[in-house]
Amino acid sequence: MRGLRILSISPTASIQDRGRQGLLRFGVSPGGAMDAYALAEGQALLGNAADDAALEMAGHGGSFRAEGEVWVSLTGAPMQASLNGRVVEWRQSLHLRDGDTLRIGATVMGVYGYLHVAGGFQTEVVLNARSTHVRAGFGHLPKAGDLLPAGLVPPKPVPLALPRPEYFDQRQIRAIWGPQSHLFDDAERSRFAAAQFGVSDKRDRMGMQIIPDYPPFHGDSGLSIASDATLPGDIQIIGNGTPAVLLADRGPTGGYPRIATVITADIAALAQISSGERFAISIVDRQEAVGALLEYRRTIGALPGMAEPVLRDPRDMADLLSYNLIDGAITGENDEQN
Amino acid sequence: MSSAEGADWAGKPVLRIAGDMGILVEFGDAYAPAVSNAVLAFDAAIRQMTLAGVIETVPTFRSVLVRFDPLELPFDRLEARLGAMLAERDWYLAPPPQGRREWVLPAVYGGASGPDLAEVADLAGLREDQVAGAHSADPLTVAMLGFSPGLAYLGQLAQNWNIPRRTGITPGVPAGAVLVAVRQTVLPATPIPTGWRQIARTPFRGFDPRRSPPFLLSPGDLVRFQPVSEAQIAGFDMDEFMKGQP
Repeated sequence: MRGLRILSISPTASIQDRGRQGLLRFGVSPGGAMDAYALAEGQALLGNAADDAALEMAGHGGSFRAEGEVWVSLTGAPMQASLNGRVVEWRQSLHLRDGDTLRIGATVMGVYGYLHVAGGFQTEVVLNARSTHVRAGFGHLPKAGDLLPAGLVPPKPVPLALPRPEYFDQRQIRAIWGPQSHLFDDAERSRFAAAQFGVSDKRDRMGMQIIPDYPPFHGDSGLSIASDATLPGDIQIIGNGTPAVLLADRGPTGGYPRIATVITADIAALAQISSGERFAISIVDRQEAVGALLEYRRTIGALPGMAEPVLRDPRDMADLLSYNLIDGAITGENDEQN
Repeated sequence: MSSAEGADWAGKPVLRIAGDMGILVEFGDAYAPAVSNAVLAFDAAIRQMTLAGVIETVPTFRSVLVRFDPLELPFDRLEARLGAMLAERDWYLAPPPQGRREWVLPAVYGGASGPDLAEVADLAGLREDQVAGAHSADPLTVAMLGFSPGLAYLGQLAQNWNIPRRTGITPGVPAGAVLVAVRQTVLPATPIPTGWRQIARTPFRGFDPRRSPPFLLSPGDLVRFQPVSEAQIAGFDMDEFMKGQP
């Protein structure tokens, strides 16, 4: 079987696709890639289907050995990465030959990086998706020694690259007032809308705690309501007044009031903000949010067309050096300085 | 919108924006039988319409979330449609859902299957030997599924069962644990951490990802627990159990 053998892996890694939709009424939150844009970039670089699964890595990656020929790509938060000891670029498709070793270290910026394989990882499907949902006990939890099998695809003739997206620098996160914003008075809402928030290190795929630059409102813990359905991006105010943003693996129902909901188009940008960094929330109306959603989907839809051939594949360059010493060496030197 | 004479909830339904892909139809701020019936009837009505652009609906204790794609079904149009539906009738007078199933689930109370039974007896003002009978006396309604896959919230026990949740969390209660607090019973289908107290355990599994259908309980279903001995469920088999169901 063709695929990637895991030599070592971060405990935060998981298999993610677009998640399980339509099961909230049965108590199943959707899961899926924390950065849906990065997932789509990987599919565009490898010619994959939108539902194909990738490996999501938070903060740190792992080491992988190719079994058979595979094409891979790396997207999302850039991490230190090398192929057989040579540095590899983010957002490019890479050709791996049998026995090649890909090492992915710590993130350089952002939080969630993705390793994609052409054809997608063919791990276990549970309820129509491959996404690992640790809390629900679904899907494959990758560990050292596993072979992550690659799906069958026609060989890709040229490596492709995508430009670096802008959302890693985004520190204004747009949100709509939430389903329980009426439980907060005008003064509290104004403070919330004007605040800067620091991203806490209390974060995972369920959600992230964010610390406002004002003393938390509601010192009492009496602020709870009868549970109802939660949404991705819901900002709930828990008993001690601290906001938390609910994300892919959140509880499907919850009983804390939600003051605002981050718009769909900005969830990936928020999830990629490193712990300790700060951001602001700008409240928008629903027309603006829907406009942003349209723009977001257009950008994702345009990714396959934005992928451009890479002029130089480092691997082929190594071969070239051995075949054509003079030209190759000079070209190689120049390229290194670019 | 008029509300039912003598209904538990005296308010009226409210539409709220729930992110850029959702409208929440809120029927109340707490669980009550009339609110729950309104939620389930409204949920069924939206599902029957099969409105293009609606992704899913989520009925809960007190509201129905309508998740939709605003690029396919504009906000204003869905809002107008839901508003018109709300005006059509008094949803708080809706009967319990049509075609709901009635489940009789064997359960072993106390002992290792119900480690907190004595504590619950004390809090509910019952003798220990009264807990099983009192808890299983009446059928309970599945108010919603939530928290974890297939976990059912069942309403509603008598007032003396209005016991608080624990402040501490039990890290892993098993699937099939029968948990009680705040007049409700919770039946998890997977192991969960909980602050609720376990009085019994049933071998019934409302959720199995490899079974078709994976989820057996639906909001609105009735569940009656049948106290049995450990020996009576020794050979319990879900497939056999399902053959006996209508």
